[in-house]
Amino acid sequence: MAGKSGATPTTYSPSPTTQNKKRPPIFNDVDWVRSDARGFHQCRPAFLRTGAVNAASGSAYAEFGNTKVIVSVFGPRESKKAMMYSDVGRLNCNVSYTTFATPVRGQGSDNKEFSSILHKALEGAIILDSFPKTTVDVFALVLESGGCDLPVVISCASLALADAGIMMYDLVASVSVSCLGKNLVIDPISEEERYQDGSVMISCMPSRNEVTQLTVTGEWSTPKIHEAMELCLDACSKLGKIMRSCLKEATSALQE
Amino acid sequence: MLGTPFGGHPLTPLCHVAGGDWRSRKKKKKKKKRFSYKNVTAPPVGEHLQKLSFIRAEALLTDKRMKMGSANASSDLSSEVEVDAFRRLFPLRFHERHLLESIRPDARPLGKARDTTLALGAVASADGSALAKIGCTTMLAAIKMEIMTPTTESPDEGCIAIDFHMPPICSPIVRPGRPAEAAPVVSKHSGMINLKELSLVYGKAAWMAYLDIYCLDADGALFDAALLSAVAAFSHLQIPVVSLNDDGRIVENGGKLEKEPVNKEKRKLKLSRIPFSLTCILHKNYILADPTAEEESIMETLVTVVLDSSFQLVSLYKPGGPVLAYTSAVQVSLHLLSSYFDLASSSQTLCCMRPHQMYQIWFCISQM
Repeated sequence: MAGKSGATPTTYSPSPTTQNKKRPPIFNDVDWVRSDARGFHQCRPAFLRTGAVNAASGSAYAEFGNTKVIVSVFGPRESKKAMMYSDVGRLNCNVSYTTFATPVRGQGSDNKEFSSILHKALEGAIILDSFPKTTVDVFALVLESGGCDLPVVISCASLALADAGIMMYDLVASVSVSCLGKNLVIDPISEEERYQDGSVMISCMPSRNEVTQLTVTGEWSTPKIHEAMELCLDACSKLGKIMRSCLKEATSALQE
Repeated sequence: MLGTPFGGHPLTPLCHVAGGDWRSRKKKKKKKKRFSYKNVTAPPVGEHLQKLSFIRAEALLTDKRMKMGSANASSDLSSEVEVDAFRRLFPLRFHERHLLESIRPDARPLGKARDTTLALGAVASADGSALAKIGCTTMLAAIKMEIMTPTTESPDEGCIAIDFHMPPICSPIVRPGRPAEAAPVVSKHSGMINLKELSLVYGKAAWMAYLDIYCLDADGALFDAALLSAVAAFSHLQIPVVSLNDDGRIVENGGKLEKEPVNKEKRKLKLSRIPFSLTCILHKNYILADPTAEEESIMETLVTVVLDSSFQLVSLYKPGGPVLAYTSAVQVSLHLLSSYFDLASSSQTLCCMRPHQMYQIWFCISQM
């Protein structure tokens, strides 16, 4: 069947997603409606669930609109043989996409940049002293990319770490805000991300009010960035509450 | 001020299946036990002690099995720990002890398959997708359709490319960057799909169906789950309406009816012979249907039988294994064929014991 002539033939996607690079004029207006009918400062409904993967020591599934992510945590387990002796535990993060996650079929390879940002966002929250000489592996798979993939992965990963019983100072909640013309848009979808002028992503520990990771890209004015960070921190604290209630639900179901 | 961020619960099919609560409960228990086990094995166990613990554990095991029926959850923790230590120290004996009583550690009879669930349309970015779950084994299959130029040998046929992925999230033995050891190759079952249906313009354009199967949770019988999800994804597949533009390229017909669509009627594939499979473990005289990952790792002889919807044998796969190895060569050659037939028929009856699966496939087809 496939590969009758040996090598697979070259193919192309029939959808014209790569052609229109031009930004729709709607985003320059002061007033427009987001394609999923949300307000500018309204996040997508968050669905979170722990215990999605039985084979892992801890796992979580997150679904924010069309963004669907699974994170598994393995360990603490023996570090690789080549690793040097270490008094504190190690954290190993890996983020990958499925081939069908994006509108155009991808290669499904590891995303190095996201992996390192995930590592930076989590390492400040984990009490690494609690598992010396060993490694905790955090593996994330983006099943479907619908915008804001990295913040969802970070929030989901901290939930999976909590499910695995890894000691942390606090859960890490992560939210991003995009700047589109004159407007600030929280929790943007893929289309809004594609045409954004700038974005800010904050990962923080809500109950300690500490930021573990902050990324700012693009063009920002000082009042705008202030407003965006306020928005992010406020949404983070609300997301943190949802994550906490998700963990509580899981344990209360366990006790019944 | 924010509106109502992160409220509500979209009950998508994926979520329904992804978080079964009885499963997580069981997992928690296992985890606790595993932890205490680590402490138990650290010092070397003397032979005398070993024997003693074996006898005690065996007694406890019988005790536990009797308790299992009465759902006595608050059983003594120390006995639980000892049974678990026994399970880890002597896994084969632990399982054989169960087999003697015709029961398995997860309270299934030998011939019973685990509960199977199926959710169609789990991924919106694909043209067709399905999530299959057999016990804890979870497979996500999705199809993306792309255009290709058909080969000169078969100008009126499309193509199907199948990839199986074991991402590191699915099992502790898979690490990123390293290929998975036990990646089951989902064979392409000829006869299910007529490749001529994938043709668009004779000799110019045809569909290439990229089927990618992701193992999200590996707990045995991977082939069965992969095949089930693949078939379900094909049954869910909705081929996009396309038309031919002036450059001779096929483009998606985005609502504008300026061009006559090439494939007005062919939006669904006709699936003629639907394959379904059952994996069994052969161990001594026992046949265990639908093994878990633990059972697969302890008892190594596996047989996978693939039948189609009219109960005709499609394929039979037995990748080595120690069973049949100690019978003499003559006996093997004499009995191989007949034993395979016996096995196929016994597995066939086992397949019949999975009404869930059969029903769901037929249900999907009837919805087309």
